[in-house]
Amino acid sequence: MSPIGLEHYLTLAAILFVCGAVCMATKRNAIGVLIGVELVLNGANINLVAFAHFNPAFEIEGMTFALFVIVLAAAEAAVALAIVLNFYNNHTTVDVDTAEDLKG
Amino acid sequence: MLPLDKHPGLIYVVATLLPLASFVILLIAGGVRQYLRPRKQESSLAGTLYTLLGGDAPGKTAAYVATAAIGLAFLCAVYGFVKFNSEAHHLSHEIKHLKEAIVELKHEAEHEGDKFEAKLKAKQGELAEKEGRWSGRVNWVVILPGGLNDNKHGTALQVGFYIDQLSAVMFAMVTFIATLIHLFSIGYMSEELHQPVADHEVHTAHGHLHRRGRFGRFFLFLSLFCFSMLNLIIADNLFQVFVSWELVGICSFLLIGFYYERTSASNAANKAFITNRVGDAGFIIGLLIVWTYVGTLNFQEVFARIRCPDKAFSAARGEHGKVVSLEYAGLIVRANPQGSKSANEGDMVSILKPDESIRADTRVIIFPREPDGHFEGVGPQSRAEVKEIDVFERPRPDQYSSMPYWLLVAAGLGIFLGCVGKSAQFPLHVWLPDAMEGPTPVSALIHAATMVAAGVYLVGRCFPLFTPEAQLVIAYTGAITLTVAASIAVVMTDIKKVLAYSTVSQLGYMMLALGVGGWVAGLFHLITHAFFKALLFLGSGSVIYGCHHQQDMLKMGGLYPKMKITAITMLTGVLAIGGIPLFSGYYSKDAIMADALGFFMVYKQHFLLFFLPLITAGITAFYMSRMWFLTFTGKPRDAHVHEHAHESPWIMTVPLIILAFFSVSIAWGPEEVALENTLHHAMPHAVMADFGVEPLVDSVIVRTPDGSKRRELTWSGGKTKPLSENSRHLAHEYHDLAGTMALGMGLAGILLAALLYYFRVLDPADSKEQFPGVYRLLASKWYFDELYSAILVRPALAVANWFRAFDTNVIDGVVDSTALATVKTSFWSGRFDNGIIDGLVNLTASVCFAIGAWLRRFQTGYIRSYILFLVLAAVAIWVIMSFLFGTGAPAAGH
Repeated sequence: MSPIGLEHYLTLAAILFVCGAVCMATKRNAIGVLIGVELVLNGANINLVAFAHFNPAFEIEGMTFALFVIVLAAAEAAVALAIVLNFYNNHTTVDVDTAEDLKG
Repeated sequence: MLPLDKHPGLIYVVATLLPLASFVILLIAGGVRQYLRPRKQESSLAGTLYTLLGGDAPGKTAAYVATAAIGLAFLCAVYGFVKFNSEAHHLSHEIKHLKEAIVELKHEAEHEGDKFEAKLKAKQGELAEKEGRWSGRVNWVVILPGGLNDNKHGTALQVGFYIDQLSAVMFAMVTFIATLIHLFSIGYMSEELHQPVADHEVHTAHGHLHRRGRFGRFFLFLSLFCFSMLNLIIADNLFQVFVSWELVGICSFLLIGFYYERTSASNAANKAFITNRVGDAGFIIGLLIVWTYVGTLNFQEVFARIRCPDKAFSAARGEHGKVVSLEYAGLIVRANPQGSKSANEGDMVSILKPDESIRADTRVIIFPREPDGHFEGVGPQSRAEVKEIDVFERPRPDQYSSMPYWLLVAAGLGIFLGCVGKSAQFPLHVWLPDAMEGPTPVSALIHAATMVAAGVYLVGRCFPLFTPEAQLVIAYTGAITLTVAASIAVVMTDIKKVLAYSTVSQLGYMMLALGVGGWVAGLFHLITHAFFKALLFLGSGSVIYGCHHQQDMLKMGGLYPKMKITAITMLTGVLAIGGIPLFSGYYSKDAIMADALGFFMVYKQHFLLFFLPLITAGITAFYMSRMWFLTFTGKPRDAHVHEHAHESPWIMTVPLIILAFFSVSIAWGPEEVALENTLHHAMPHAVMADFGVEPLVDSVIVRTPDGSKRRELTWSGGKTKPLSENSRHLAHEYHDLAGTMALGMGLAGILLAALLYYFRVLDPADSKEQFPGVYRLLASKWYFDELYSAILVRPALAVANWFRAFDTNVIDGVVDSTALATVKTSFWSGRFDNGIIDGLVNLTASVCFAIGAWLRRFQTGYIRSYILFLVLAAVAIWVIMSFLFGTGAPAAGH
């Protein structure tokens, strides 16, 4: 067993990213899509943190960007959930395929 | 006020401008009336102004304005004439002596210097003052403001006046006759006062033509004509003459076409105008030649430079000089070129003797503008024996120049051609008889007394310009004209046409006289003829008026009891023109015949110049008597005309009586004031030089300053020609013979007319039947109109038609085919545009549309498909990037 290095983090992040992307692509439930988004964001976050840890030149930037992404994800989740809730109130469903009001 | 004491000649300028003022006033008043007439209802101001200017019927105001102007001009002319004659002899002597003194002083000044310079200046000032009394000029158009320091190139066109006996007499004659004719017209034109006027000779769809009266317009034209004619007489240069010349031409055109609704009148106006243009073309050519070579158009300056001066300071090289006459005095001096020197020295020419024959390159000497004190004249026998002189292309004022002799001949003939047109000489005489379409007073004023006289006047004025060849042409033109016109007059039945041809014939006499050296006789006849021809025309006008516009003599007859005044005054005119003793025409025609006889005796080969006028004197008397007998005697041939005939009102008969008085007496007078002698003073020296100087017979009485009288030669230059060559002397010697022959012919003519038309011993119809060919020839006016129609009008029309065909076929064809080609090209260009260019553009658009439609399918609206594309794209980018930038070894390997 080799010690845990950058490759492991990157691999984990890639797995998370792919899981998130697949989740976004396959789920019809809006909540599920949001979960996929969270997964993708966190995959990316792990990358940032890993680079910050292993590359001293990126130490500050990596941490800062990771924090930004977390805040962004929180804000996104809040907004998105509000939209979903409203959508549910109007259509009594959270199936994204039925959200075609803006289709033109 | 005018400085009349220093410049009395200005009275003539005033007199000239008076009719112009009348013209301007009438023109403005008429123009304003014309403008206001349709607007008089619109505003009260326009209506008031219109009424003030005469309203719908302005009456005779225009006539009064015009008559007052010309009448005042006549008074000015009388004043000027009296004043001029009272001082003319005296003045001309003073000027002659001053000129001689100046020649002398110039010589002295050059040798002695300053002392004489001041004297010379004083004398020149005095001369300028004396000459300024009866002449003056100002620059009109300055062509070279700086001037050139040579005497060839003209620097300015000028306006000026120059009064000598000729212009003074002419001026008085024209203003006098014009005044009478204005008065006569007030009566004659009174029908124009009616509103509207019915013109019975013009037929429209609605019967006779009705039009507005043109009383004012008639006097407007008359005023303009008078101004032009007077300006022509006082002009001191050819250019001013030319301007007036054209002005009288246009007035003649306007007045001949006064009844312009009549086709015949407008055709006659056109004919007169166009015929005169032919002559004027020649006039312009003459003018340009003179301007080019002499550099001025002023009469006196041109003559002084073309003709050899009279006087020079003889012994310029000796100590005791004096003023002498020159060998070539007054002659045109010809010379043959000898070869060129350098530019500064000019070309050498050798002087020809007067009788030496000329060559193609013979030149004429143009004398210096300001001869210096060394001037001694030219010629083999002059004191200094100057046989060869230098002439310059660009001479200084004191140098000689020269011009080709043939160009001087051409200049003379050109100017004469202008006179031929204006004075209706053969071959341009055809317009004058047609010009009788105008109102009769116009025929009297313009086409008998004054305008046609302008040509004769100009020939007299320009006499020094004419070379012997040109003089001969003038004489023959006159001889042919007088014969042809008189022969036609014999068969005319229209009373005005008879008078028209008689006018042409009499003008021929004048030209003939001028051509054979009878300068005084020709111009004398011009004056006397003006009086009796104006009388005859006004008389015919009175007859026509009295017979209600009947002009055919075959419908008259026996009018004597009905119009006695007209008949008697006209008889006076007939006798005057027939050359009966004591009547004015006798004196002037005698003088002409004498000059023709003198010329014939010197030059026997030119016998026609004597015999044609002699025979024509008889014909003249015949046709004039025929006219009188046909009109006034015998049985009335048309009862209707005779019944309504009446004598004209006093305003028409009074001018007749006055004119009749002058037709008799104008040539009378004591020796020193008689018209002939007065004219003699104005005779150019060139006449004497060309036709021989007479020893004593041409002397005149002159009044010396102290009041006594003495006989003196009018001209003392030159030498008398031998008797056999001296036509002027012979003319004087055989004056009585010529007069008797002419009188015999005249009496024979009258007798024949009386036999035919009064006593009816012979029947005129018989002779008509016996000589049908001759009668047809004469009645058709020698077929001149047909001839001109055949050789000029019809070829011109043919050429015009040919050009029109060329225009319609070739020019239009080219234009049309160009248009057609353009249409075709446009069609194919349009096809190309619509097909290819638009096709390409549309293709691009459809391709874009197709691509768009295809891409549209990818926008499904399903988020997962978008994400799928996103991922695929990311993977694809990653793959591409790693192909492009990847090293092949994974980063983890490090």
